[in-house]
Amino acid sequence: MGKLRVVHYINQFFANIGGEEKADIPAELHVGEIIGPGMAFQASFGDNAEIVATIVCGDSWFNENMEEAKNMILAMVKDQKPDLFIAGPAFNAGRYGVACGAICDAVHQELKVPVLTGMYIENPGVDMFAKKVYIVSTKNNAAGMRAAVQTMVPLALKLGRKEPVGASCEDGYIPHGVRVNFFEKERGSKRAVDMLLEKLSGKPYKTEYPMPKFDRVEPNPPVKAMNKARIALVTSGGIVPKGNPDRIESSNALRYGEYDIAGIDDLTSDAFETAHGGYDPTYANEDPDRVLPVDVLRDMEKAGEIGELYHLFYSTVGNGTAVASAKKFAAEIGEKLKAARVNGVILTST
Amino acid sequence: MDFQIITNNPRVRDHYQGRFEVHYEELAYKALLQKVRDMVQSGYRLLSHPLSGSVKPNETPYKSVMVSKDHGMTDAESVRIIEECIAACEKFAELDRVWTDDVLDDFRMIDDTLIESAVVSACQADRVM
Amino acid sequence: MKLEMGYFHIKDIVFGSTSGLSDGILTVEKDTVSKIVLQDEKICSVTVDIAKPGESVRITPVKDVIEPRVKVEGRGGIFPGILAKVDTVGSGKTYALKDMAVVTAGRIVGFQEGIIDMKGPGAEYTPFSQLLNLVLVCEPVEGIEKHNYEAAVRFAGFRVAAYIGELARSLTPDETEVFETPSIMEGSKLYPELPRVAYVQMLQSQGLLHDTYVYGVDAKRIVPTVLYPTEIMDGAIVSGNCVSACDKNTTYHHLNNPVIRDLYAEHGKTLNFVGVIITNENVYLADKERSSDWTAKLCRMLDLDGAIVSQEGFGNPDTDLIMNCKKIEAQGVKTVIITDEYAGRDGKSQSLADADVAADAVITGGNANQLIKLPPMDKVIGIVDYVKKIAGGNKKSLLPDGSVEVELQAITGATNELGFNRMSAR
Repeated sequence: MGKLRVVHYINQFFANIGGEEKADIPAELHVGEIIGPGMAFQASFGDNAEIVATIVCGDSWFNENMEEAKNMILAMVKDQKPDLFIAGPAFNAGRYGVACGAICDAVHQELKVPVLTGMYIENPGVDMFAKKVYIVSTKNNAAGMRAAVQTMVPLALKLGRKEPVGASCEDGYIPHGVRVNFFEKERGSKRAVDMLLEKLSGKPYKTEYPMPKFDRVEPNPPVKAMNKARIALVTSGGIVPKGNPDRIESSNALRYGEYDIAGIDDLTSDAFETAHGGYDPTYANEDPDRVLPVDVLRDMEKAGEIGELYHLFYSTVGNGTAVASAKKFAAEIGEKLKAARVNGVILTST
Repeated sequence: MDFQIITNNPRVRDHYQGRFEVHYEELAYKALLQKVRDMVQSGYRLLSHPLSGSVKPNETPYKSVMVSKDHGMTDAESVRIIEECIAACEKFAELDRVWTDDVLDDFRMIDDTLIESAVVSACQADRVM
Repeated sequence: MKLEMGYFHIKDIVFGSTSGLSDGILTVEKDTVSKIVLQDEKICSVTVDIAKPGESVRITPVKDVIEPRVKVEGRGGIFPGILAKVDTVGSGKTYALKDMAVVTAGRIVGFQEGIIDMKGPGAEYTPFSQLLNLVLVCEPVEGIEKHNYEAAVRFAGFRVAAYIGELARSLTPDETEVFETPSIMEGSKLYPELPRVAYVQMLQSQGLLHDTYVYGVDAKRIVPTVLYPTEIMDGAIVSGNCVSACDKNTTYHHLNNPVIRDLYAEHGKTLNFVGVIITNENVYLADKERSSDWTAKLCRMLDLDGAIVSQEGFGNPDTDLIMNCKKIEAQGVKTVIITDEYAGRDGKSQSLADADVAADAVITGGNANQLIKLPPMDKVIGIVDYVKKIAGGNKKSLLPDGSVEVELQAITGATNELGFNRMSAR
């Protein structure tokens, strides 16, 4: 197997160009140059791989111009015909982590080049990209650079050579939702006894199978007098006024909208539409009531079955939206609904 | 007896019909679980575990589940269990098996003994309570 | 209760004109063994064969694997309530023939499963490829009821294992090991500073081919109770569980329960191994509630600090496992649970059919859905026509070169949930 050609992506800080004040520099291609952490990678690669180009990009510029940035960088990478693309490591720098994850995902999807990045487990880039690209787990700051390189290089070579990848704990990457079998040194019963002794003495232990996270919410008691209740509608199905005036994103929404339906009995296609990019919009655009049932609730209001349909509804797009964003929206919307003395909410999703 | 058996297994139907309430329908494994889910959502309680037995959902076509005879308010635990069972079905690959009659006979029999263990427990409970 | 185990390391098994054990060589007189099997008229014929580690041999479909043992001193006999009388076992002296096993095979049901490859990639996934195996392939009498056939094969295995074990009775073992569990009060006086730990063993108990017996009692009908760990070394628990080869516990697994061995290794040093709580995995949901309530109650009553919980099987037992874990933790007793996974062939599905945040210390025996290619073996002991019917495989599984692609599910003991193996997953 010949020397692998590697393209390395880093931000303005690790390129020694500057800190926050230089975070707006657009992507720059440095052919034939090894910059910053690239030197540690190259030293560790030895003859196995060669960094043929380094791309330096400001974190703000990338995050604020994502589409343009991706396209520009993809073109740069394509030109270099690499066997492998490495980004970061980003440690705990949030925007850097998101940039590394996003550009790795794009390179992998569009150019079919193996990719690898590294970041600290709490970096928001992990939640967003751990299932899409391999992310090596690093310490939370650059003091962990040497350890990061030590773990990233062997995994990078495996990926570049298209060799099979081991279990997450074997190859040092953050578990990405795929269970991989491997052989431990000790048998399971011994591991169980050791783990129990650690648990009993208050020492840290690592479960071999993390339970799926269920964000369980205790249901409130039922609405007492429905015929007197003020009911509100909230949706993650993306129903918005026609033209999407607040520019709610079709995926990975960063905002929600608040819209007035006073006097509106029925949502129609000339006044409303869906912004959601995760389902075929035809039927929702034809009749937005299908996702946000204003018509049915107005009927119930007229028939006295509910007290009143609250005149404001809240909407966002649930497609690929980060859990952290959803929690934030919910907390804000919840406060507004409480202040408006809403008794019950119908939450529709798709 | 305060239970009924929902089944797609003719052997279970023949075994218990007349003695207990049995609903037999020719449904595929997953469709039977979905029927149980519909009933659970309408307020019937699960009395036996729908994933009884170690023969996997993509091997045996037969399944019998015990639910309550009467229905009341929807039981959250029953909803949770039946949903987990349907999700568990979905992780098994389609095997495209064409079983011979004697193998199908064996599957019918295993399913019969599995539900039998639940019937025995249910009858004991009824006698006491 | 104190038990001294004596071990004989079996170096080879050969057929000969008289059965005997000498210098590690076990000689087996074939006809006598056949007669012991055929004592039960429900079995119409039996083939007795030997499979050795490294040979190009496949044994299938495997029903049970049993280690020959004999009780030389003390109350009762091996397999109480089954072969021996019901007297309480677990004390005195017992001999075991190590590095070998009696394996029963037979077409109890039409869907076949349970493979032991003695060589090749499949051999890495079963502990039984490392043993010298005396295999009994049992054919049923025409038209026999499955219940009866299963019981017949089960008992035949125990009878032969007892016969082989008996050959060691008057000999001197190669080595001995003592296991002792004091009574509750004695134990707390002896080890006042050590954390009190018990092993909670969940037993398969759902129906035909899914049963376990405790002193001969069907585990379906027990309520959770306490055993001395040494009782299990004398065969107090035996397997009637034949389905899901990868995670069913054979009688060999019960006799050599690794949790018991590893807890004893720490007993008196880092923990006080108080005893074993056994419970079941019934189909009726109220039984599950009762059993898990009682198990948690016993944990509290024994003043435990911690418990290791092992399960057996897939799906239904996952609910028992989580119930036990939650309720035991709620009593203030810390748990570690041992399970295996069905995460789909791509490893992406949710591994267990149930879950709870309380189960934060899990040991896994690996993903049973992983595909493996088993090359053809020179010899098959058992039923040849199995490919289409083997669990985890289908008609596309037979490849042109004669190898078969199956899931690990089909290999006996591959993802054992007692923690018998080193395989895991992340």
